[in-house]
Order: sequence, then C-alpha cells, then structure tokens
Amino acid sequence: MSVYAINKLCRRVVQEPELRRALSDAPEETLRAARPPLSDSEIELLLAGDVGALARLGTNHFLLHQLARWGLLGLDLPTHGERIRAAFPDQVLRSP
Amino acid sequence: MAELVGAFGLPHNPHFPSLVRDGAPLAEEVSEMYAKIADGLAAARPDVVLYITSDHYNLFFEALPLFMIGVAESAVGPSDYPSIPQREVAIDSELARHLQRQLVGHDFDVGCLQELTLDHTVIAPLSFIDPDGRFPLVPFFINAFLRPLPSASRCYALGHALRAALAAYPAADRVAVVASGSFSVEIGGPRVFEDAHVGVPDPAWTERVLELLRAADIETLVRESTDEQMAKAGNAAGEVLDWIAMLGMFEPKPPATLDVQPWFGHAYATWPAP
Repeated sequence: MSVYAINKLCRRVVQEPELRRALSDAPEETLRAARPPLSDSEIELLLAGDVGALARLGTNHFLLHQLARWGLLGLDLPTHGERIRAAFPDQVLRSP
Repeated sequence: MAELVGAFGLPHNPHFPSLVRDGAPLAEEVSEMYAKIADGLAAARPDVVLYITSDHYNLFFEALPLFMIGVAESAVGPSDYPSIPQREVAIDSELARHLQRQLVGHDFDVGCLQELTLDHTVIAPLSFIDPDGRFPLVPFFINAFLRPLPSASRCYALGHALRAALAAYPAADRVAVVASGSFSVEIGGPRVFEDAHVGVPDPAWTERVLELLRAADIETLVRESTDEQMAKAGNAAGEVLDWIAMLGMFEPKPPATLDVQPWFGHAYATWPAP
C-alpha cells in the first residue's frame, strides 16, 4: 500500500485542471499512468470511489476528500461523507 | 524599529465569500464578524500585515517545512478554490527577508519561498478585511496538518522571536498581525457531521480556548494545546498554533472583541494596539 502515491494524486487533483479532466475522461488509464505508480488494488479502490476503504488503509482524509470536492471517480461530498462515516461508525458526530 | 499596531484572529472557511455574495442565511453574521476585524485593521493603519496561516497541502507536501515565510514581491491566489475571485497580493519582501534572517538568528529554522501562490486561508479572509488590497502582506506558514507539528510552546516562542525581529527592523513600519485558523474542525475525515463532510469533533475544546483567550491566560493555552488535544479536536485543529504564534507577539491581554461561531469551531478576535 503506497499511501503516499494516493495522497499525491489527491493533492495534484487540486492543482492540475488537466489531471481532473483526464480522470473524468479516462479514469483507469489516468490512474495507471499516475506517478508515483498506484498498485492494482489501489486503482481498484479508487475506481470504485471506495474512500472508506482508502481511509482505513491510512490515506490522508483531508486529501482524500478532494476527489469528491472536484466530483471525480463517481464521488461527491455527500457520498464522501457517507462512505467515510460508514468506515468509522464509532466516530460519527451528531449534527448540531 | 517596527511597531506592532494591531493583532487579529480569524477563520478562513473557503465558502464564506460565496455564501455572503449569494446572501445565504449566515451572510449577515459572517459579514458583521469580519467587519469588526476590517474596522480594527483600518483603525490600526498598518503599513504591512504579517499573516500567519497554515497551508492546506497546496504549497507543501513533497517537502514539508514546519515554518516558512514568503519573500516574493507578490503572490496570486487562491490556488485551491475557483469560487473565490483571483487576486494578486503585494508582499513586503524587504520585511519578510528581514524576519527570516532575524528568526534564523534566534535559532528558528525558517525557510523562505521565493515564489508562491496563496490558498483560501489567506484570500478568503482578505476578501472581507482588505478587499481593495490596501495592505501588503508578509505570509508566514506554520505546519498544522501533517504530523509531526511544531509544539505549541515552540510556536509561542516563535511569536516572541517575531516581536524581537520587528523591534530590530531599521524602518519605523506599522505592522499588524493576523492569525488564520480554527480551534476544532475535521475536514473529510470520519468525525464529520451526519449530513456534511466537515465536523467539529471537540466543541468543549473550542470553549476552553475561548475561555483562556478571555482570561488572557496564554500560558495555560500553550500548556493545554498538546498534540493529543489538537488531534482530538480534528484533522485541521492544529491551526490553533497560528493563533498561539500571534499571541506570542504581545503581552497577554483579553481581546477587545471576540465573536464566536461554535458550530464551526472558530472565532474572530481583535487586540487593538497590543
């Protein structure tokens, strides 16, 4: 598990509009071309938008939410929140 | 000798500018709270604003300094939120380089950015407190996100060193300091509210910080701002370090104004003529 590679991808998403376009147009191809390289299992989780599993593996939560903020890999912010909460049910806060 | 003419603490929610622009329900409250900072800043008549903030992985990730200062002539931003209008911000490069030299001379290993962009932590508040770009900035960055973070006591001492560095400045500039950040906030992590991607994991800590600010008990704030406490308060709660560095620049005193939005885990504070 190269958490750094996933974190780096999420960081680049914020700063690189062309990467966002590529991830929208050809997600698997773009993920396979990522540097540092992502493993097959990481690509599978990313393509599934499984941020809960990625978070449990140690990916930076703040960076991970950038995928949803930019509407990538089938994610949006409500979906991100739902999946992160489902992955850590004991930590969910009650809304004020 | 430069003079500290005002100190301010504020939040930097990236959605506040558009929320106010669109007249959302919170718009009036947010505008009024920022207006007190803007009024205080205008009354202080600074030549330059030392702006202490924490990068949100927009400038730093591959290399991650604990302390960094921007010494370019100007910077554009925000680099991360297209919903906030882009602007170019003048930087007082001469003062910035002086501060870096002085801090290193005081054993603070502060690096410098000779080229930089600014993210929402700077540009969003500026759209309220200095919309016309009247004041050049000196941007100062404290790592508040990726552990290990600098300790609270180190950041408080940093504030002392910044104060001494201003006193050693050859020009008689008027300098205001702004600290940007929240006390308890989680972004994108599991401790988010049921219907959001953000949360306030430790409202009691926010209350405690406010209590200590009102009592001007900064030594206790420093002592209680442990790494464990900051982690408990959320994945962005290290931003209290920005406030602590700012508070280190003057003798403890209660803020003249202190407005709180507890459901965001943050506050707006002013210390005129500290």
